[in-house]
Amino acid sequence: MRRFWIGLAFVLSPFVLFALFLLSQGANPLESYQAMLRSAFGDWYGIGEVAIKSTPFLLTALAVAIPARAGLINVGGEGQLMIGALLTTWVGVFYLQGVPAWVGVPVLILMGALGGAIWGIVPALLRQYARMNETITTLLLNYVAFFTVGYFVHGPLKDPESFNWPFSPKLDEALRLPTFGSTRVHIGFVLAIVAALVVWFVIFRTRVGFRLRVIGGNAIAALQAGIKVNRMQLLAMVFGGAVAGIAGMIEIAGIEGHLRPMTGFGYGYIGFLAAWMAWNHPLWTIGTAFLLGAISVAGNALEMTSGLPSSSVSILMAFILLTVLAVGRGSKAS
Amino acid sequence: MIVEILTGAIRAGTSVLFASLGEVVAQRAGVINLGTEGSMLGGAFVAFAVTYQTGSPWIGLLAGGLAGLLFALIHAFLVIQRRANQLAVGLTIIFLAQGLTAFMGQDYVDKQINGLNPIAIPVLSDIPFIGPVFFNHDILTYLVFLLVPLIWWFLFYSKPGVLLRATGEREEVVFSLGKSPTLIRYLAVSFGGLMAGLGGAQLSIAFTHTWVENMTQGRGIIAVALVIFAAWLPTRAMLGAYLFGGAQALQLALQGRGLEVSPFLLFMLPYLLTLVVLFIVERRKVSSMPESLRKVFEGERGGG
Amino acid sequence: MGTVMKWRKSLIVGLVMMMMLSVLAACSGGDDTAKETETPDEKKEAVTGPGTGGSAIGFLFVGAKDDYGYNKAAYLGSEGVEENFPDLKVLRKENVPETAEAERVMEEMIRNGAKVIFPTSYGHLDPALNVAKRYPDVAFFHQGGLKTSENLGTYFGNIWETVYLSGVTAGKMTKSNKLGYIVSFPIPQVLLNINAFTMGAKSVNPDIKVNAVFTGSWCDPGLQASAANSLLDQGVDVLTQHQDCTKTIIETAERRGAMSVGYHADASELAPKGWLTGAIWNWKELYSEMARTAVEGKFVGSKFNASYRIGIEEGAVELAPFGSSVPDDVKALVEEKRLAILDGSLHPFAGPVKDQSGAVKIEDGVKPNVEQLETTDYLVEGVIGNIPK
Repeated sequence: MRRFWIGLAFVLSPFVLFALFLLSQGANPLESYQAMLRSAFGDWYGIGEVAIKSTPFLLTALAVAIPARAGLINVGGEGQLMIGALLTTWVGVFYLQGVPAWVGVPVLILMGALGGAIWGIVPALLRQYARMNETITTLLLNYVAFFTVGYFVHGPLKDPESFNWPFSPKLDEALRLPTFGSTRVHIGFVLAIVAALVVWFVIFRTRVGFRLRVIGGNAIAALQAGIKVNRMQLLAMVFGGAVAGIAGMIEIAGIEGHLRPMTGFGYGYIGFLAAWMAWNHPLWTIGTAFLLGAISVAGNALEMTSGLPSSSVSILMAFILLTVLAVGRGSKAS
Repeated sequence: MIVEILTGAIRAGTSVLFASLGEVVAQRAGVINLGTEGSMLGGAFVAFAVTYQTGSPWIGLLAGGLAGLLFALIHAFLVIQRRANQLAVGLTIIFLAQGLTAFMGQDYVDKQINGLNPIAIPVLSDIPFIGPVFFNHDILTYLVFLLVPLIWWFLFYSKPGVLLRATGEREEVVFSLGKSPTLIRYLAVSFGGLMAGLGGAQLSIAFTHTWVENMTQGRGIIAVALVIFAAWLPTRAMLGAYLFGGAQALQLALQGRGLEVSPFLLFMLPYLLTLVVLFIVERRKVSSMPESLRKVFEGERGGG
Repeated sequence: MGTVMKWRKSLIVGLVMMMMLSVLAACSGGDDTAKETETPDEKKEAVTGPGTGGSAIGFLFVGAKDDYGYNKAAYLGSEGVEENFPDLKVLRKENVPETAEAERVMEEMIRNGAKVIFPTSYGHLDPALNVAKRYPDVAFFHQGGLKTSENLGTYFGNIWETVYLSGVTAGKMTKSNKLGYIVSFPIPQVLLNINAFTMGAKSVNPDIKVNAVFTGSWCDPGLQASAANSLLDQGVDVLTQHQDCTKTIIETAERRGAMSVGYHADASELAPKGWLTGAIWNWKELYSEMARTAVEGKFVGSKFNASYRIGIEEGAVELAPFGSSVPDDVKALVEEKRLAILDGSLHPFAGPVKDQSGAVKIEDGVKPNVEQLETTDYLVEGVIGNIPK
């Protein structure tokens, strides 16, 4: 029982801290929290928005979790998402006009996965053949991906009818992901949850997943046990990248309809935090991604009702994350 | 044009070099701090605000360095004491710093300060070619020139430096000498934060005389990446930071001359160049990564 | 595993559970809020049409409001609306990305009672059109767009007219005949301004060259300072810009003894010696006039329910005060040109206008309309710089 109360205190502490911060700024914390809750969970619309927002977080979190199981740190979900979105748009706009959805949508998912996989395999290869640390290469490749998207939407992919503004042409209506009723909620969210279940199954219930976990546990022991470590790690990065790429596809086909310079900007880093909070466990990422999605959506309401600048949402986010971090993993005694 | 690019390299690279040097020391002790970006941002804002309030860039500089140190202390506590995931803590500190500085900095965006200005060193600055490139900068640039050999000497020829490296390689040796690896790590990370804070301050009160939210724009992350590129050597960190700055200066110089290349390809140049150089150096040598840092990269995994 | 591990799990479980609970709590209370928002409509039956019957007005900004630039100008405009409509709550959201996130923000504003919404950045147009389709009773005023719908109008100021005039000033003042233009991205508004500035400068000084440098960012002071220094090192002696935050470049030019032309806001105080002039926005009156039209139910069919453009004659774009270094004969010349634009005898882009390769873009004697200008995808003769094709 005592544990319960201490736990509760921990859960509440970032919110109490942030309430004090709100008070110091002359905003009413109760009103602000109420507005935030109402906007994120007040009705089906709000919950739908949270679902939409957390979809890319969940997929980019999986993109971190899969390689992490094989002992690799992929901070490149950001770039992998963008390149997935780029390839999706490219193929969708130029080659799939007028193609029926049952052919087109699967092709687009493949294209998104392919784009992300390319952006994931490059750091994996660089690690194996040039000893380059994948944390650093994935980070640097994020910047390259951002400018690559910029290059395409300002150049070869620019919509001739966009009045020369940097947008790609629109995807065919037929290729857009179906939505639930008249809402913006699309089946991408379901896809993401299915992806999380599949990843969980593969990692914890198959032989491939077992090998992956052995590598993550001790690469040298895995090598001695005859596991092809290099190939497995390559595979992990390819699949991680592919999942992030699918997030890019979903952004295009589910939400945006066309590629813009800022599509998916910042999602990869939030996904990284979601994965880390979930201990790289695919099922837990569903919860953490949803939590971070809820905070992002509720943040809009906070800003509008309290009149505080948008930076206050980052502060709340950081408070929550710091609390989780402070609980940490403690000493490695296990 | 070459003088222009080299001068531009030093202008653009100095803030990154400060942060990189600090990270060399922190990572030598076995802690990687992506929050360097947050420390830089904190340093940039506090240095600007304090300079504005006191009228003295020197007090501002000091305050900026301390702000960077403070963010690094959060990192040190969570990573060393609570054993939290180093990269996740770093990212969180970036969020925290972005939020706090943007929030507190709103009133400073349109303020003017009397910051630090370039000082041409007499005689030296008149030397053709070398003079304008190296000897016509703000005082913090000269400071960083001096810090490179100093930190190199400290790491490899002083007793505390040896202990610090030992902490990163084999902490049991440090234990057996009766010293506390925890304390040494704290000090190393704090120094890293201090340097990142100074780098941020160089950006805000010396180079641009400006504060706007999120003004470091990823320079701290680049600084961390450059440390690995630099193989944890201060001299190579200098090369890396100025290479990065040089790539930026090069792309601006090429644009100014109307080169027929999409600017977006030029924007990638600093990042691609870093990757290419990393590719060339890492292939040749046996990795010199501090042992406990290897644990961060290879030992931290899910499920634990 | 260790107990701390369990702690972490229980913490995350706690957070997720709290979230679920609030879902339940909020859902059960959801009906009340729906009813509340409906009542104002019934009360004010006299006035109908998009934009009427709301309790709030929403503003979306693409950047931070205090950037001494584009968003600051729009923010000041929203303050004007706040003063003029004391009964209505002004809802603001900064840093709204130009993606579908903007739709979410607008929906949230509508759910908070907004019936009039100002998306102030170009990239907010498509999201706004989507939301407008779903909410025919809400009036939208989009800043800078060219597409409209039944309840969405666009407006913009012909700032290129004042940019042209500041180009005239720079062309008269330069000694090196090299002007520097630090820009963000190659989008039509930016290209149009570079061209207008160049046309202005060349009209008084045919030898002039304008070096355009893209930074790939709307506000990165470090990069701006690098670009400014790079251009000054190349012999440029007047710097101007199209960035969201403008302070760094003006101050850098001042410290290095160069001249500067401002953009977005009057920054003459930043550069007492080198400031020449600048092209600035003044949205206050227009915003309030548009909001009033909508609130009074007169939006449909009004001039704002289209692509509305105003230039220097109406005052939404202005020429900033001249700096002390500008001699009287230059001031007189600029004033003469300003009056010529006002009476229609001068059109900055009257043909022939040639692009960098020498190809004629605007035929001799043609005066291009706003739509042609706002879709500019080329740089005129005399600009050094390259844009993606």
